[in-house]
Amino acid sequence: MLLFAIRRLAGAVPVLVVVAAVVFTLMQFAPGDAVSMLISDEASDADKARIREAWGLDDPPLTQFLNFLGNAVTGDFGTSFKYKMPVMELVLERLPATIELALAATLVAVVIGIPLGVLAAARPGSFWDSFTSTFSFAGISMPNFWIGILLILLFAGHWHLLPSGGRAPWGMGLETMTGFLLLDALLQGRMDAFWGALKHLALPALVLGTNMTGIITQLTRASVQEALREDYVMTARAKGLGGMRILWRHAFRNALVGVVTIIGLEFGALLSGAMIVETVFAWPGIGSLLIQGISSRDYPLIIGLVLIYTAIFILVNLLIDLLYTLIDPRIRIN
Amino acid sequence: MMKKTLLSLLASVAVSAAATGALAQTPTDARIAVAITETISGHNPYADPVVLLSNVWCQVYGCVTRYDFDKNAFVPYLAESVLSVDPLTWEIRLPEGAKRHNGEPVLAQDIVHSIDYLGKNPSSGKSYLVAGWSKVEALDDRTVRITTATPDATVPDNLAGVAVTSKALYDQLGEAMFKDAPFGAGPYKLDEVSIGEHIVISRNDGHPMLSPKNPAQIMYRIMPEPEQRVTALANGEVQIAQSVPPQLMARVADMPNAQIATTNSVEMMFLAMSPKTHPWDRKEARQAVAHAINREAIVRAILQGQADLLNGPVSAGQIGHDAGFTSAYDYNPEKARALLQSAGLEGVEVTLSTPVGRYTADRQITEAMVPMLEAAGFKVTLDTPEWATLWANVQQGKVPFYYMGRGSMIDPSRALHQYFATGGSPRIGFSDPELDALLAAERSEFDPAARDQKMQAAVRHLVDAAPAAFMWQHKMAWGVSKEISFKPRPADQVNGWEVFVN
Repeated sequence: MLLFAIRRLAGAVPVLVVVAAVVFTLMQFAPGDAVSMLISDEASDADKARIREAWGLDDPPLTQFLNFLGNAVTGDFGTSFKYKMPVMELVLERLPATIELALAATLVAVVIGIPLGVLAAARPGSFWDSFTSTFSFAGISMPNFWIGILLILLFAGHWHLLPSGGRAPWGMGLETMTGFLLLDALLQGRMDAFWGALKHLALPALVLGTNMTGIITQLTRASVQEALREDYVMTARAKGLGGMRILWRHAFRNALVGVVTIIGLEFGALLSGAMIVETVFAWPGIGSLLIQGISSRDYPLIIGLVLIYTAIFILVNLLIDLLYTLIDPRIRIN
Repeated sequence: MMKKTLLSLLASVAVSAAATGALAQTPTDARIAVAITETISGHNPYADPVVLLSNVWCQVYGCVTRYDFDKNAFVPYLAESVLSVDPLTWEIRLPEGAKRHNGEPVLAQDIVHSIDYLGKNPSSGKSYLVAGWSKVEALDDRTVRITTATPDATVPDNLAGVAVTSKALYDQLGEAMFKDAPFGAGPYKLDEVSIGEHIVISRNDGHPMLSPKNPAQIMYRIMPEPEQRVTALANGEVQIAQSVPPQLMARVADMPNAQIATTNSVEMMFLAMSPKTHPWDRKEARQAVAHAINREAIVRAILQGQADLLNGPVSAGQIGHDAGFTSAYDYNPEKARALLQSAGLEGVEVTLSTPVGRYTADRQITEAMVPMLEAAGFKVTLDTPEWATLWANVQQGKVPFYYMGRGSMIDPSRALHQYFATGGSPRIGFSDPELDALLAAERSEFDPAARDQKMQAAVRHLVDAAPAAFMWQHKMAWGVSKEISFKPRPADQVNGWEVFVN
């Protein structure tokens, strides 16, 4: 298994180089200009030329790219034009916020989507089946930004139950240990901070998880229904096993491989979907950072973040592959 | 040698007196949050030209001057006085005993260092403020002399953007000073900067500009979505919400805990027409545009009354405003068509470029302009590029016809030179020797009243030449909690010393 993981990680290196090359090339052709976006519109041409030189933008594109690659192998993605900070430092500062949000959204999707999908599969054609289909299609169809604004209006504006945005209440005074606020609060025994952070996390996680919930519900329903038609289920019924045991222990467990695969793929999609949700909820993660990077043509930040996204996606898929062996002992990795 | 006192001590004396009277009260420990639209890029006060944040840095470090909207003049902020010694020389005098938050004195060398950093450091995003200053020197610990290459009456305006950081601390810590030792001499102290999220400042008790009712702490919190800003106001998460769009104003007005406060802005909205391109090389075409747009209808129907029509690039309260001047460009589609016909341009194809989401209802406004222009005889294509693309092209002079705004125009001189003087920038490419002479004359005039007259002459000439059709200034609407008193000013600023906890 270790060898498999090492091989997969080694295979990721050329993928990352290609991604970097594609993003870099696209940025060369993209209209707009970092200097125009980040320096005052009153700056003189001489000032702009000075900044361009300082940022290395007057080097030939190939030189810029090779310089970037040379530094990137040491973990140095350059300095953000906008924030004047090393890209890696910026990313590491904000990455926990995005991962925390994506994990919470995944949890929402799994906790809601799997039971609903199993319930619908167990009673095809029933009210619950129709309800589940409607619910999941609505979840898949509704755009995140719309649901986000709607929930902000209801939960924050109308009912005053939850905050409208941000990651933590002002003055929470929680020491940063891991960067994951819920975890940090637990580690420090600060239930007030845990509750405060959870209230801030609730709406963005719900919104980010909506689409994934719909997909997981549909997939679970279809997979479990298919499993329920298998011979081993008939055998189990003939042996007199209870309906719930057959459903959860036999049908659902066999359907789980497909569900886990989609959870892995969707986790990657969640990270990119987080860009919109983070903007709507003023969530300080790498999604909103990438949006700001793109709108200000902060090239080092854009490439650095895209590479981080790619690396996370590769890692998550590797983890999912490794997880298969735990879910289904018949699967062997070699 | 003439010696004119442009900035008096009266402002600081009056503030001190008010503050002394209020000393008997116990300072409030209330804190407020302000929902803002812009980003927060870091600890460096010189890096980001965003107006609201520059103003936050001025509250922390102290800027040399500030604009007093009650006096309609630049007044001392950190300085005691700013004097024009002769047309090329200015002297800044620091008050005796000025101290930073860590107790260190504020010295003339600090101002020299700050100006030097602004002008030369690659991290500076505001080098334009000190462009054309040929020499800056400390005459003693309290006096700075600035020598300009040409007579420049805009120096007090530029000094309003110079946050004074410590030379000694910078020599000791370098760039780390901004994060590790942000000791200023302003009315508020820096507590926390969370990049892309918020910035927190706390009251510097004892500062002469403060009253006990000013908030103990202020958090400027980024909320890019207007819905979120307004909802956070309703929810009590923030006490001030910047930039409430017209469609949300009624909601704020209906809130039991908040209200709308509006003010005019100093940002001109205009249609730029580059005379370097056809048909804008013809004055008749440019004037036809100015006559073709029904500005009253747009302000009424789209902006819901939240804008003031402009007769030129400036309005009341700005240098160069002439209350008696009325623009000749009334809404007159027949005249617009006649002008176009007279130039043989009827049916000429033009492309109107507009940002989307940059300014209030920008896309809807330009969509409404298209049929108006077509009624005058233009054949119009609407172009809606992404802001970064449009802005880069505008700056390079590649966009012939565009809808745009230009802020920071309390003193309009820099903006007018930038857009309309020969060689000011490529973005319009206009060249008119007579206008150049008028603009040069206003910039060289140090007497405020005389300068106002000269600026008015330049404005009149500019409006007639019509390289741009001046549209309106948006009213700026702020959502303000009833827990506080805050009177917004035409500049995008929230000064702690102008916010009072009820």
